Amino acid sequence: MKQAMVHSVNLNLKYGSNTVLKDLNWQIFPGQHWVIGGPSGTGKTSLAKALAGVNHFQGAISFHYQPENPHHLLYVSNWYQFTNLEGDRNFYYQQRYNKSQVKETLSVYAELQHYADTENLLFSDAEAHLKAFGFENFKEAQLFELSSGEHKKLQLIKALWLKPQLLIIDQPYTGLDAQSRSYLNTAFDQLAAQGTTLVLLASDQDLPSCIQHFAEIKDGKLVERASAQAFSKAPQRTKKSLPYFLQQAPLVASEIMVRMKDVSINYGAKQVLKNINWEVKAGEKWLLQGHNGSGKSTLLSLINADHPQAYANDITLFGNKRGSGESIWEIKAHLGIISPEMHWYFDPTAKVWQCIASGFFDSVGLFQNLGYERQQKVNQILDFFELTAYKDQLLNTLPLGKQRLALLARTIIKNPELLILDEPCQGLDLEQTTHFNAVVDELCGYGKTLIYVGHFETQLPSCIEKKLILENGAVIANETIFESVI
Amino acid sequence: MANYFNTLPLREKLNQLGVAEFMDITQFGDGVNALKGKKIVIVGCGAQGLNQGLNLRDSGLDVSYALRKEAIEQKRDSWKNATDNNFTVGTYEELIPAADLVINLTPDKQHTSVINAVMPLMKQDATLSYSHGFNIVEEGMQIRKDITVIMVAPKCPGSEVRAEYVRGFGVPTLIAVHPENDPQGKGLAEAKAYCVGTGGHRAGVLKSSFVAEVKSDLMGEQTILCGLLQTGSILSFDKMVEKGIDAGYASKLVQYGVEVITEALKQGGVTAMMDRLSNVAKIKAFNVAEELKQIMRPLFQKHQDDIMSGEFSATMMADWANDDKNLLTWRAATGETAFEKTAAGDVKIGEQEYFDNALFMVAYIKAGVELAFETMVEAGIKPESAYYESLHETPLIANTIARKKLFEMNRVISDTAEYGCYLFDHACKPLLADFMTTVETDIIGKNYNDGKDGAVDNQELIAVNEAIRTHQVEQVGAVLRKAMTAMKAIKTA
Repeated sequence: MKQAMVHSVNLNLKYGSNTVLKDLNWQIFPGQHWVIGGPSGTGKTSLAKALAGVNHFQGAISFHYQPENPHHLLYVSNWYQFTNLEGDRNFYYQQRYNKSQVKETLSVYAELQHYADTENLLFSDAEAHLKAFGFENFKEAQLFELSSGEHKKLQLIKALWLKPQLLIIDQPYTGLDAQSRSYLNTAFDQLAAQGTTLVLLASDQDLPSCIQHFAEIKDGKLVERASAQAFSKAPQRTKKSLPYFLQQAPLVASEIMVRMKDVSINYGAKQVLKNINWEVKAGEKWLLQGHNGSGKSTLLSLINADHPQAYANDITLFGNKRGSGESIWEIKAHLGIISPEMHWYFDPTAKVWQCIASGFFDSVGLFQNLGYERQQKVNQILDFFELTAYKDQLLNTLPLGKQRLALLARTIIKNPELLILDEPCQGLDLEQTTHFNAVVDELCGYGKTLIYVGHFETQLPSCIEKKLILENGAVIANETIFESVI
Repeated sequence: MANYFNTLPLREKLNQLGVAEFMDITQFGDGVNALKGKKIVIVGCGAQGLNQGLNLRDSGLDVSYALRKEAIEQKRDSWKNATDNNFTVGTYEELIPAADLVINLTPDKQHTSVINAVMPLMKQDATLSYSHGFNIVEEGMQIRKDITVIMVAPKCPGSEVRAEYVRGFGVPTLIAVHPENDPQGKGLAEAKAYCVGTGGHRAGVLKSSFVAEVKSDLMGEQTILCGLLQTGSILSFDKMVEKGIDAGYASKLVQYGVEVITEALKQGGVTAMMDRLSNVAKIKAFNVAEELKQIMRPLFQKHQDDIMSGEFSATMMADWANDDKNLLTWRAATGETAFEKTAAGDVKIGEQEYFDNALFMVAYIKAGVELAFETMVEAGIKPESAYYESLHETPLIANTIARKKLFEMNRVISDTAEYGCYLFDHACKPLLADFMTTVETDIIGKNYNDGKDGAVDNQELIAVNEAIRTHQVEQVGAVLRKAMTAMKAIKTA
């Protein structure tokens, strides 16, 4: 029998009093491709980080690599943090929309060139991946100008390009559109054929065909399963009714919530949005779709009053024309938003309850006293989302799925007129997504207006009735859906 | 132009130095109303200019940018910053005459020429705002009597001013009205509205005066903020290398150590910084700091005296007139120090290790913060002003050293601060020469606790803790920090 590439013996890992890994044993043989699945919060990421040497653990892991390939192990985390040229991470939410002539980060092209130099790779080997992931137009873009989906793709491109002996990817599919997912699976199969051993941490069903091993972590130990369908499901949630204050229809300031007339956004010669005309009326439930980089986030940043170029366009929000003396805080008071970017930049010192409470003030972190009534609402919403046990933990120490629920709670706590949910289920498993969307449907039953961004047609709230599709910054479809999108 | 401060009678000097009123959010109930519908024209579009303008516009105010003709014609960065963000940009002649509020956010050195160009164009009864009072106080610029002169000075870099605003908070801000130029008594209302527009009202506002701001700002930036960190970094590094500590390790310990150590200072004052040490180490650091304070006190007093008398600004302005000869020579010399030229080693240093292995740095920062604060207060500056210009800004400057060492610090700070920094550094190093011969690696480079059993005398520890905690900088700091607890932590690399 071949020698194991990875031999892990009695791995133990605790966070405080919480046992994550308990005497876990695992051998990975060359050419054995694994998916680690199962519910969120079972310790998948902790295990991957232990293998990658970025987590402390007790126990022993030994590695045996082939001498001919110098690239041994690459770990791609589910959240990617880039740094500026000086190596620190002082970026802030929505910074990419404020233009300043200081070059803070490398351009995409320079970053790839640098990677090629340090890892001794040929640039030409990356071209096919760049093309497939639609990166040709981004070569001169600054890293921090990329959306979260584009960052994810850049990490994947590097991984495919490097062809390491062992490739561990945490949630490879999050934030990717259907086309990119399908390309990625083909590329994984090619990589496997060329000698890379794959370990994917994913709760998805649509996997590359080279995967033959399925496992999940149960009670701190690794348990093999027959297929991705056999992964454990999260325990059934007890059906709870919405807190009373979310069962009231919000007051609507204007029947037309959003009106955009010939809206265009340019960065130098690059046009990100082209002549957008769009109206969102009170009570409508919209789906916003488009490939990564098609302009969805930029469009939403105009509604959320985060984009400086809104002042040069004809946009009316909640009855007021932009640039007529309104403050962005007056606009934000009407809406609740959740986005991968907001999550990314969320205050790392915020506890779960503070994160939720900050939704009353539309701030990224809590800076004001709540008072009794608001505190009661926070408690009720914590209970509704089954987050009470986590309320005093730092948001960013929770499993991803729970972090998203906390951010959804933050978004809805003030019972806003308009809900903007930008890929709210990125990183969630199927169960969590279904639960999340059911909550959205229920909320929308009480007179809310919705703009929902989602990639996969099977995982959407059923209340959606209208659809706007963007391609390269232009609207290619603006239609009413008569039948259910499922 | 005569030094404004020196023209005042003593009673008025003391009167203006003593303005320091801490204002909390409840005093800003009128929001931006005093500026609503008024034309705001910002002169200059660098980091402060752009980011303050973005915030003011997002608060519902009417903002445009006046730039010099050449900057527009040559499409310089300031022009691009403003136009890329869809602001109206025009020449002084085009925009200033209609302005109700002109905000001068150009570098200090250009103030005289900018004001001379702008003032004749300003309409009757308009308002002129500064973010630093050097031009008014030290250069003695006289502003037309119908014009109201205010100051709004966010105590953070421009990018932070924006970052805190978009997350729904703000940065601590200092506001002032120049008593010689408040003909209609509207200055304070407009300064408050401007402050609300940038988000500063949420993080604690200090009402100061032009005089108090300048005299404390110059003192703070020369001594504790820049000079002291520069001297301390170089002395620590050289000592470690002299005693055989690996140069890469020494470089990293100093470069990132100042940031990690002052992060504790930022969150909980000198007390929190000292509490990061073990009891034995804390007592040692306390004693080292006492010794350092004794040695350095005359130097701090000389700096404060020269600032008060105008001697400092006169010398510096003479260097400006001499094409910055001294400044440029000193800048080049700093770039050549061994600390500057030794890259941080590829070694992992744990957060606690930055305290345990750099006891000298902790003691040195404590000595500097307390000395700067004490010297300012003795000179008639109020404790609140002295706190902002000593302890509050130290972590912000340390952050620039962590980014790219002293060269970066001196690039980011104003030329005025840089000039004062070199003056201090060159006087301080010889002053500490004898003391440095007594320093061993137990207090810089290695863990002070190694080989000790940790035992301390109860009475001694109690006395040391008491002395640290009851210092005036700690008492005033506790109140001011409460208003800005939500400030984002500086992230460490």
